Amino acid sequence: MKFDAIRLFPLLLVLLPLLPDTALATQAHGDPEGLFVHQFAHAYFAISLAIFIYWLRFRNLIEETGWRYIQYAAFFLILWNVDAAIAHLLDEQIKIIEVERIGNWHIKITSTDNTVFTIVLYYLVKLDHLLCVPALVFLSAGLKQFLKAPLPSAPEPDNQEEQQP
Amino acid sequence: MIVSNVPIRVVDFGGSILMIVFSFLCLNTIRRLKSKDPDDVMWEYLLWICLGLAIFAISRSVGHILKQIVQLFGDDSLWEAIRPFSGGINTIMFVVVASVMLFFERIWIFYRRVHKGKQALQSAHNELIYLNQNLEQLVAARTDELVQSEHKYRRIFEISKDMILVSDADGRILEVNPAGYQMLGIDPEHDSLNGKELDTFFAQPSAWRRIMDDLNRQGFVSSEETDLLLADDKTRRILVSASLNEGSSPQDHTFHFLVKDIEQQRLHQEQMAQTDKLASIGQLSSGVAHEINNPLGIIQGYTQLLMRNTTNASAQYKDLKIIEKHVKHCKSIVENLLNFARPSETSKSLVLLGEMITEQVEFVQHHADMSKIKITTDFDPDVPPILMDEKKIRQVLMNLIMNAKHAIDDQGIIRLATSYNPHTRKAVIRITDTGHGIEKKNVSRIFDPFFTTKPPGEGTGLGLSVSYGIVKSHGGYISVRSTPGRGATFTVVLPVKP
Repeated sequence: MKFDAIRLFPLLLVLLPLLPDTALATQAHGDPEGLFVHQFAHAYFAISLAIFIYWLRFRNLIEETGWRYIQYAAFFLILWNVDAAIAHLLDEQIKIIEVERIGNWHIKITSTDNTVFTIVLYYLVKLDHLLCVPALVFLSAGLKQFLKAPLPSAPEPDNQEEQQP
Repeated sequence: MIVSNVPIRVVDFGGSILMIVFSFLCLNTIRRLKSKDPDDVMWEYLLWICLGLAIFAISRSVGHILKQIVQLFGDDSLWEAIRPFSGGINTIMFVVVASVMLFFERIWIFYRRVHKGKQALQSAHNELIYLNQNLEQLVAARTDELVQSEHKYRRIFEISKDMILVSDADGRILEVNPAGYQMLGIDPEHDSLNGKELDTFFAQPSAWRRIMDDLNRQGFVSSEETDLLLADDKTRRILVSASLNEGSSPQDHTFHFLVKDIEQQRLHQEQMAQTDKLASIGQLSSGVAHEINNPLGIIQGYTQLLMRNTTNASAQYKDLKIIEKHVKHCKSIVENLLNFARPSETSKSLVLLGEMITEQVEFVQHHADMSKIKITTDFDPDVPPILMDEKKIRQVLMNLIMNAKHAIDDQGIIRLATSYNPHTRKAVIRITDTGHGIEKKNVSRIFDPFFTTKPPGEGTGLGLSVSYGIVKSHGGYISVRSTPGRGATFTVVLPVKP
């Protein structure tokens, strides 16, 4: 009798759950994975924003004030993503920064590489709202411009509509 | 390094609040934009971005505010409990916002297409409303324009002095203007040209075929010279221009013809050529005649001298007489040549044309055999006395009447008529006969010296040349029109000087 692997395959599938083993269990998602996901998300967000800015410029939309403000918003959000990613990198990923609270109004920042630059950099990147708040301010201003001058006035040559970069 | 964390706390706390405030401001603005145009896909797109950023702002900002508060109270455990949730939501939300942002290009193209469609629809809608409201006035205005245009072009068609004709693709006449009827000699009230074949009006079938070939090949014909066959079988020189007007199918093609009558122009050109030719011949004849006249005078003189010394009965005298006779004949011819080329001194006086012609007719009837020929006269009483050399004009009349007599073989009619045009101040004498006419090839040569159709010995061929020279010396001109087999008409035009 000829061996028929294809016919045996469904049988193996049925028997598989009856033979549990650690290698076949659901993958564990431990501590660093969340951080990696978050960092990837920052990178993804920054790349999306860069592509968004590219299209705004390619379509000449930035000649209109509203879209120009939104472009600035996207730019600040890119900076914020870089800022946040650096902060996560320093104190959570490569862990070269240690922060210790001294009372309510002071902190002690220690760098394992013993450089002031790393400490100053860390201190500055912790002020990330200085980047994300302007981003939302520009977004809000851009949208308000659309209330004054609606979208159809957006200057764009007709022949560019279907153009691909 | 110990540093103040106040800037961090202030920026973190204040920034968190501002994040919430501005994210909600964005949401509110986009809500207002959407309320203006709920179906606008771009507002929908921006709403998703703003919504994602608002949720992100709330999640993150609330977390950070709580963090600041609980840390101030020295209890980090609550923050540690909240942080994974806040961080998770933050991550998800800016991934969502990033994903939405990646679709901007597609959304924008879609938005533009929809917008263009809307614009076209709105434009059509506005146009329809406008047409609906102003249809009557627009139709009236357009009708008025059409009427004016039709009137303008109809007027050009009607009053044109050239023939304007429209035919179908097979050359059947569809429409002809009044000038066309007039040119062809057809009365439009009695006979319509519509539906007739245009080629039947071309004297040369080859010309018609050539015109049609050109029209079908290149779509137009420009100033093609040919002859038009008139209703009375006469021909008329014309210039034909035509163009093809393309219809939806070859059978719907029409041809538009513009026919210009150049008969008068052609006659004038022929007359000019004839005048030039006769002037050249006259110059030549004059030179030759002058050179021959002197030797002839010497020959005649010496002959007569010899005759005086010779008895009349002698044979020598008879020979000298023959010499004298032929010398006189030669001198007569030379004199005629000189009259043709360089008329001699004239003695002019005021003469009544009618009276002079009547006398001349009577003279001819008495001295020539005119028994079977009827001579009729029709004189215009308004012809004033004309200053002329009566003797020479009588010679002209004699030549023309005798030519008419010879043209009538057996019996026929010679008509003499005069007329006067006070505008041009010219008197006209017409001598028409019912003889055999002049062949077309001879018409241009009949005023040439020594040209004759008579048998040898019956005419010198100088009669019409001399007549031409005499009339020309009076400031007039002489012309002929003849149809072979149906007689000829000589027209002498003389100026009436005040």
